[in-house]
Amino acid sequence: MKVLIIEDNQELARNIHDFLAREGYVCEVCGTLETAKEKLGLFQYDCILLDIGLPDGNGIGLLNTIRAEHKQSNVLIISAKNALDDKIIGLEKGADDYLTKPFHLAELHARIRAIYRRKNLEGASIVEFNEISLNTDTFEARIGDVILDTTRKEFDLLLYFLVNKNRVLSRQSIAAHLWGDYTDSLANFDFVYQHVKNLRKKISNAGGTDYINTVYGLGYKFNSHEAHQ
Amino acid sequence: MKLTNKFTLWYFAIMLVVLLTGGAIVYYEIQWKISRVEVVRHERLNDIIAQQIRSGGDYKDHPTRKRVSISVIPADSVPKGGYSYYTRGSNWNPEFQSYEFKLVVTSFYFINGRHYRVSSYSFIPSFYQLLPGVVDSFQWILLLLLILVVISGQLIPKYILAPFKRTLRVIQSFDLKQKEPVRLPATRTSEFRELNEFLKKMTEKAREDYRSLKEFTENASHELQTPTAIIRGKLDLLMESEIRDEQAILIAEIQNALERLSRIHSSLTLLTKLENYEYEAKTPVCISRTTRETLASFEELIQMKSLSLRTDIEENVYLPLHPSLADLLLTNLVSNAIRHNSPPAGEEEGLIRVVLSREGMVIANTGREPRVPTVELFERFKKGNPGSDSIGIGLAIVRQISDLNDFDILYEFAGGWHMVAISFHSRLPASKLLQNLLLPLQSRTESGWPKANH
Repeated sequence: MKVLIIEDNQELARNIHDFLAREGYVCEVCGTLETAKEKLGLFQYDCILLDIGLPDGNGIGLLNTIRAEHKQSNVLIISAKNALDDKIIGLEKGADDYLTKPFHLAELHARIRAIYRRKNLEGASIVEFNEISLNTDTFEARIGDVILDTTRKEFDLLLYFLVNKNRVLSRQSIAAHLWGDYTDSLANFDFVYQHVKNLRKKISNAGGTDYINTVYGLGYKFNSHEAHQ
Repeated sequence: MKLTNKFTLWYFAIMLVVLLTGGAIVYYEIQWKISRVEVVRHERLNDIIAQQIRSGGDYKDHPTRKRVSISVIPADSVPKGGYSYYTRGSNWNPEFQSYEFKLVVTSFYFINGRHYRVSSYSFIPSFYQLLPGVVDSFQWILLLLLILVVISGQLIPKYILAPFKRTLRVIQSFDLKQKEPVRLPATRTSEFRELNEFLKKMTEKAREDYRSLKEFTENASHELQTPTAIIRGKLDLLMESEIRDEQAILIAEIQNALERLSRIHSSLTLLTKLENYEYEAKTPVCISRTTRETLASFEELIQMKSLSLRTDIEENVYLPLHPSLADLLLTNLVSNAIRHNSPPAGEEEGLIRVVLSREGMVIANTGREPRVPTVELFERFKKGNPGSDSIGIGLAIVRQISDLNDFDILYEFAGGWHMVAISFHSRLPASKLLQNLLLPLQSRTESGWPKANH
């Protein structure tokens, strides 16, 4: 996947670049509207990460250009402004999603995959890994042929793991993913633990491999290379 | 009372005073004028009679002598400097066989060395006979004026106050958030012009302040969130490198502190936005549905903590509330009820009760007694249990949302139950609501419901 990161803060842009590069994405970074227009004039991108507050203007203006000339590209707005106006205008002008800073990189990745699935895979919204397959339309999880009886949160959790395979997912990131921005996620760590525990149990009971490992002190990891026995 | 009605009443009062004094003046004026005319006529008659005496002829049966008496008087009876005077009063009129008002004019003459006193009289209309006429005509005048004042009192202010009313309408619909300055109607009345000028300045200032505050909030948010995002990203990347256990613990601790920082920051920004009235309800939201959805999204947590949930949700309760705020309100209340839940003494399961009606809602949960008075729990960074992991801002947000929408909110702890009551109508106090909503339920179900102890 080819990704254009339009973000004026170099450190943040590098974080995103490094994280996504490890997924094998081809990432390009630019920090101003001017360079962004240049790049958009020359290349096509699968996904454009657009920061709204740029030094030479508001990124929302760029949406019109993107929508006119890059119909295939997915646009994800990343903004520190959690202003409702920006969010609504952004989505109205054709952005696919809106993410507020500070976000977890795993969350960003999950969002990118989600839009990509929604727009590019035309209906076949299946996420697969080995024997696990998730249908993101029907929220149905299968281990081989066995339908996994998961709750909605467990499904979300498993999807989050699958999208971010071989990444250490912190409990904060999981809590924020499952319960959103406005709940006090610090207090939800117990629930994260419970959810992960239940999910692992359900997968094992259905005969699946337990790919989810606990990472000491930090969180969890979906390990695709070596199954935890 | 409306301004126009006030004006009309005042006009009417002034009119009444003017008409009453006017009536009195007219009455006395007419009375005086009639006497005066008569007196002049009689004086002339007396002069004619004096002329007749002087001429020495016999005028005994002359028509002038009909109501005249002439007498010769001694010199000392003539009043000093007196030439003529008149008296009046009610007297018997033999011609009409009734008491009438009699005017007598007496004049003194010195003719041929003798002093004469000539008196002539006539009966004139009594003043008491005039009075009803005066009163009558003034009644008509009063009636006419009254009708005119009432009609003009309704019509003229409508015309004169029209610019004022337009200004009022513009100001009533003024919204701090509106993008354009207020447009006030032009007027030729200088007071209204002044008012408009003032209002224009005020609203402009308010809009300016609001804008800069909003800008500041957003900038603060932007400037702080970006470094936080960088740190968070770096930690995410760091976690993936080869790290030892001690380092992992350090990273986890940084993560926790960072999480807290970011939560506090976003909550405070949210509170500021709430204070700035940035969330305006455009269409009523179905709070019944929001409640059910919120409860559904917490269903798993409720099960995990083995809580028993009982609800009594009235259908189709609509509230003029921004959907995000409705969501936030319920999320905070329900997650609080779950998080701070502990089973009552001697029981295994913690309980949650949610009651929603058109009047308001009550969310109650079993739990430990709070260490601080319940009222203080609405303050920012106040926690019932200092050891807990939460930031202690959820209830502050709940209260802010309630205040913003004129809801009355109450937090009570009684009999092992934490109860938060929100009344949707400002005239119904939350304490009353708590009683109303819990009482019928107590009778319906024998146990398991908190008791309202009021």
